[in-house]
Formats: sequence, C-alpha cells, structure tokens
Amino acid sequence: MKLKRRDIIVYTGLAGILAGALGVLLIVGPRWLTPPASEVAPPPTAPATARKIRARLLYVSEDGLHLSPVEQEVPYGEGAMEQARQIIEAQVAPPQAPLVSAIPPGTRVRTVFLTQKGEAYVDLSAELRANHPGGTANEILTAYTLVSALTMNIPAIKGVQILVDGKEIDTLAGHLDLRRPLEQDGRWISQ
Amino acid sequence: MKIRRPSSAVYLLGPLLLASAVSGQAPTTGASLTILSREGRRPLPVVDVQGHQMAGLDDLSNLFQLTIREDSAANAVTVSYKTRTVVLTPDQSLASMSGGRLISLPAPLTRQGRRWLVPVEFISRALAPMYDTRVEFRPASRLVVVGDVRVPRITAQYEDSGGTLRITFEITPKAAPVITQDQNRLLLRVEADALDALFPPPPSQNGVMTAIRAVEPNTIVIELGPRFASYRTSTPVSSGAAAAIAIDLVTTAAPVAAAPVASVPEPPAVPATPLPVFGAPRPSIRTIVIDAGHGGDDPGVKGASGLTEKDVTLAVARRLRSTIENRLGIRVLMTRDDDARIDADARVSMANNNKADLFVSLHANGSPRPSARGAAIFSLGLDKVEEDARRQSQANREVLPVYGGGSREFSLVEWELAQASHIEESTAFAALVEQRLKDTAGLAAVSIVTAPMRSLAGANMPAISFEMGYLSNPEDEKLLRSAEFQNGIALAVTDAIVALRDRLDHGQAVPAAQ
Repeated sequence: MKLKRRDIIVYTGLAGILAGALGVLLIVGPRWLTPPASEVAPPPTAPATARKIRARLLYVSEDGLHLSPVEQEVPYGEGAMEQARQIIEAQVAPPQAPLVSAIPPGTRVRTVFLTQKGEAYVDLSAELRANHPGGTANEILTAYTLVSALTMNIPAIKGVQILVDGKEIDTLAGHLDLRRPLEQDGRWISQ
Repeated sequence: MKIRRPSSAVYLLGPLLLASAVSGQAPTTGASLTILSREGRRPLPVVDVQGHQMAGLDDLSNLFQLTIREDSAANAVTVSYKTRTVVLTPDQSLASMSGGRLISLPAPLTRQGRRWLVPVEFISRALAPMYDTRVEFRPASRLVVVGDVRVPRITAQYEDSGGTLRITFEITPKAAPVITQDQNRLLLRVEADALDALFPPPPSQNGVMTAIRAVEPNTIVIELGPRFASYRTSTPVSSGAAAAIAIDLVTTAAPVAAAPVASVPEPPAVPATPLPVFGAPRPSIRTIVIDAGHGGDDPGVKGASGLTEKDVTLAVARRLRSTIENRLGIRVLMTRDDDARIDADARVSMANNNKADLFVSLHANGSPRPSARGAAIFSLGLDKVEEDARRQSQANREVLPVYGGGSREFSLVEWELAQASHIEESTAFAALVEQRLKDTAGLAAVSIVTAPMRSLAGANMPAISFEMGYLSNPEDEKLLRSAEFQNGIALAVTDAIVALRDRLDHGQAVPAAQ
C-alpha cells in the first residue's frame, strides 16, 4: 500500500499534536496534581486558646463595700495586650453563683490596648453605663474591678482608663472621676 | 380615734337615786384641760372639789363615746366603752374594771347636782386602759393627747454667763425646731401638732430676754430685751430620745442704761440683726451651696420600695437649707430646687460663680449587695498626676497687676483642680460632719473616704459629697424616707457648719481628719 502524499502530512500533524499534548501532560501536569509547597498547611500544633493561666478576678465581698480576689483560670494570651484582653473578657463575663460582680449585666468588651507608659485602655460597650445601678459605692466597685483585674495580674500595667463605645467618659454614674487612668487602690480590696 | 360632738352623745341619764356626796362643799371652777386629737382641740371643763381636780362624766361621755348607767340597787355608776367597763361607787376611791382589775383614784365618785364628777386621774387610770386608741394625760401641761398626734414635751433651762444667756431646750421625742427672728422676738417653730411646754420664768434683770411662752399650735416665743444683740444656736449632746438645742442670746457690750455721757442721745432700739462692726474680720462662711444630687432623667439609685436618690437628696437639701437659714442666717443657694437634670460642671460653677464658702453635695448610696449600710462622707483624693499638678501650680505663683493699682499674687490652678487647694479644709469638715452624725438615730455607721470625686474636683472652696445611707439596703431606705431622719441629717450638717465657722472665725487651724 502506498501512502498518498496528503495522508503523510495528516499523520505527521496528528503525531506532532499528540507529542505536544504528552509533553504538556508530563511537564506541567504535576503542578496541578500537587499543591505548591508554599500553600501547604503546617503540621498541626497545640492551639493557643487551649492554654490557661491562673488570674485573680474581683467580685463584691459579703459586706458589699469591697472587692474580693478570686483565682480563676483565664485563657492564655500572647503578649501583655492580648493577655489583658483575655482577663477583662473573663472579668466582664457573668459570674457563677454565689459570686457577685460589680460589672453591669450585658457589658461587652470592645477592645483593650496598652500604651508605652503602662496605661491600659479598656473599651467596653454602652451597657456599662446604661445598666449601671448608680451610687458612689457601686461606681467605685465597678471601676476598681477593672483596674484591679489588670494591675493585680499584669505588673506592667500601672493605670487603667475606662472607655465606653470607644470614647472617654467623665463618670459612670455621676461620682467618680474617670477622665484619667485610675491607679490601683488597695483600700477597695478586702484582706 | 374620733371624738364625738355633744349632739351625738350617748348619755343615759338614769334615776337620781344616790344622795349627794358633796353637800356643804361648793365646787369651784378650775382651769379646763385641753383634749388634743386629729380633730383639733376641745376643752374639758374641770372643777375643784376639796382640793381635787374633777371632770364631769357627762363631758367625758360626749368626748369619748362612753355609755354611763346608774345602778340604784348596787349604788354604783357603770362607765362602758364598747365591751369594756369600769364600775365606780360614790363613797369609794377604788373602781372595778372589767376583768377583775381594781384601780385607785385620788378621790371617790362625786355628785354635783345632776352631774357625776370623777377625778381627772380617771382619764389615765381607767379611760386610757379601756380605750382602743392612745389616751395620754399630761397633768403638768393640762393636756389629754388622744390618738396619733405629735405633742413633744419641751423643757427649758437657763445659764447666764454674763455676756450670754444660754437657753437649752430639750424636746422629747426628737423634733427639729426652725428658728426665726421677728423684730424683738425669736420664734421657734417645732414640727409638731401641739407643744407640751413648761418653761421656768426667765432670769430677772438680765435685759436680754423678758418672757418666754408657747403659742398654739407649735411655736415658742422668746421676747427679747433691750440688751439683746444677736443669737446663735448649737446642738449639745442629748439623751437618746430627746433632741437638745441651745440658743445663746448675746448681750450688747454694756447695759443700755449705763450711757457714759448724759448728753448723748439715747441709742436707737436694738436692731433685729446686729450691725456690722467696721474693721471686724469678714465672717468665714457667708454663702453655702447645697447640691441635691442627680435629678430629671437621672434618678440615681433606686430603692427596693421605690425611693429614688434624686427625690431624697432634694428633700434633705430643702430641710438643710431651711435649718441653715433659720439658725445661722447664712445665705444658702441650691443647685436645683426641682426635679431637673444639672450637669456636674454646672453644679460647681454655681458655687464658684457665687463665691460660696462651702459646697455640700447630697447623695444616697448603692451597693451590689443589700448588706451594705451607713453613711459615708467623701472628700476629694488626688492621684499622683493631680498632686504633681497642684505642687507645680503652687510653685508657679505669679504677681499680676490688679484694677485700681498695686499687684496681687495669684496661684494659677487648672479649673478642674480647683478643689486641690481646699483639701485639708474639706477633709476637716468631713470629720466634723462625721462627729455630728454619730448621734443621729438609726444610722448604722459613718465613714470618711477620699476618692477622685468628679463632682468635687472643680469646687474652689471646701467641699464634701455626703452619702446619707444605702438605698440598696431596706432599713436604710426606710430611714432615708422618714422625716425624722432627714431632719436629723439636716441638724447634724448644720452643727458641723457651726463648728467649722467657729474654728475659722477664731483663726484656729482646721485639724485634718484622722
């Protein structure tokens, strides 16, 4: 059988296409089948949230005039700022009976940040003021719950200023001056 | 208790069987007793029989809804009130009450014409035990107090120390008098329905006071003499149930009659208030600002039974204003006299702008636990930043020219740190209030606290924030609601102001609080 000249051209073309396709499959194909090295997930390690520290949180003492430190487990935070946030989150959370908290119900943590001078700014939701029952003693206990929770657990923090909805406030209920950071005051802590 | 009028009397006149027991003894009309009740005052006529004060059973029947029956067979008169009775016999001083109890009277039942007379002691010994509301006979003041009416006993004692006549009143039970001067009279209005007052005659020839008497319904009048110059009041320590108040009547320097030169015209009548003396030091406290905390849409603390901080602070502020004005004659301003919301800065601005000498902010406290009780007096405590700022301002005094020539040294202090210059006086005043409060009935505890108080920081005068009690405690809430407690608070703070003024006026250093 003698191939015609036209058939030779066709078969040669088909062989070239097949060879090209095979080359593409062999050279580029593996990149599709295996993910690139940079996108590979790292081997699993212990999650940061699973670690805990022991921290002293503050609750209203039996006499209703002071704060009592109670040691509790609080999630570990990487760095002072993250740890401060974890402590405030735990402090603001509703307490388990019979503990009584001076933080008004419904209060949420917006953010916590630190300055180079060792001042912490605790930004809480509007419920801190809206749900506050009033009274100087109540106000003092609320403010120093937050101040003590940070200064007693993180020595680098020297003062705490309370913000509500991201803004500075004069007072919580009309009595205590909250325009500047408050320092720890041991008079409000029961011995 | 409702006292019945004569038209509705139930008085059963029986046959007149008994022989007269007063033959040959003409009774004489004595001073009547006064029956005091919610319905008002009613006289109870009294006659004197053989030295005994006797009242008619018919009058007692009309006033107290008694039923009187004569029993000729038993030769007795039975007095009944509802189911209770007392049986009287004409010739016996003993009477028999239902239940078998015997009572003794100073004189027997006595006949006067168609009337039966009993000794006035019958009221306390027979009528009071069988009546269903309070009946109290007070022989000294000739009062019969019926039901729930406030009739405090008031006594007076005099102490003449030459230049000053001190009159000490004891009021039982405690009630707060409001003192005003009306030309040549001092008027003490006592919060009561009537007064049970007995006063000894004033010391003779002292010239500062000529008479004293009680005027219905609740006022004591002191007539002032020609040597009267001024008066001041104070509150001595008193026994538990009694309130004591002392009024010092200060005399003029020399008797009016002892004019040195005969040709000098007679001095004018002593003015109602002493004229200022040229060159005399300026009184240390001339204006006080009372700040009733909260108000308007800011109720403050709410008590379990509904009392709000804004209402109790306003009520006490009004009482305190009245007490200070009447006792001390000092100008008093209120940051609010109605239910209005006032900004914290506006409150101290009012005090600063009016050059007040004292700022008293009234509050009621609250705690997350109902166990917390008692009063607390707050003064400003400075933190390190504020203390540094205060020191710096004192170091940076400046001498500036003043209008009219000359110069004056100024200490430039930030507005919000104005209180920093008055911290010692403020804590001393807090200690004085604490001392005076310790006698206030019902108060569980009193403490002094320094704290960064927003409401005090800008006050450019001695200033305290006074937490009168805990509305979160049911007993404290009950106290705070009572007029007696509110008056006690007003008196204690006023006494503390007097003590502070006396110390400042006499140039004494104000001791710091312990």
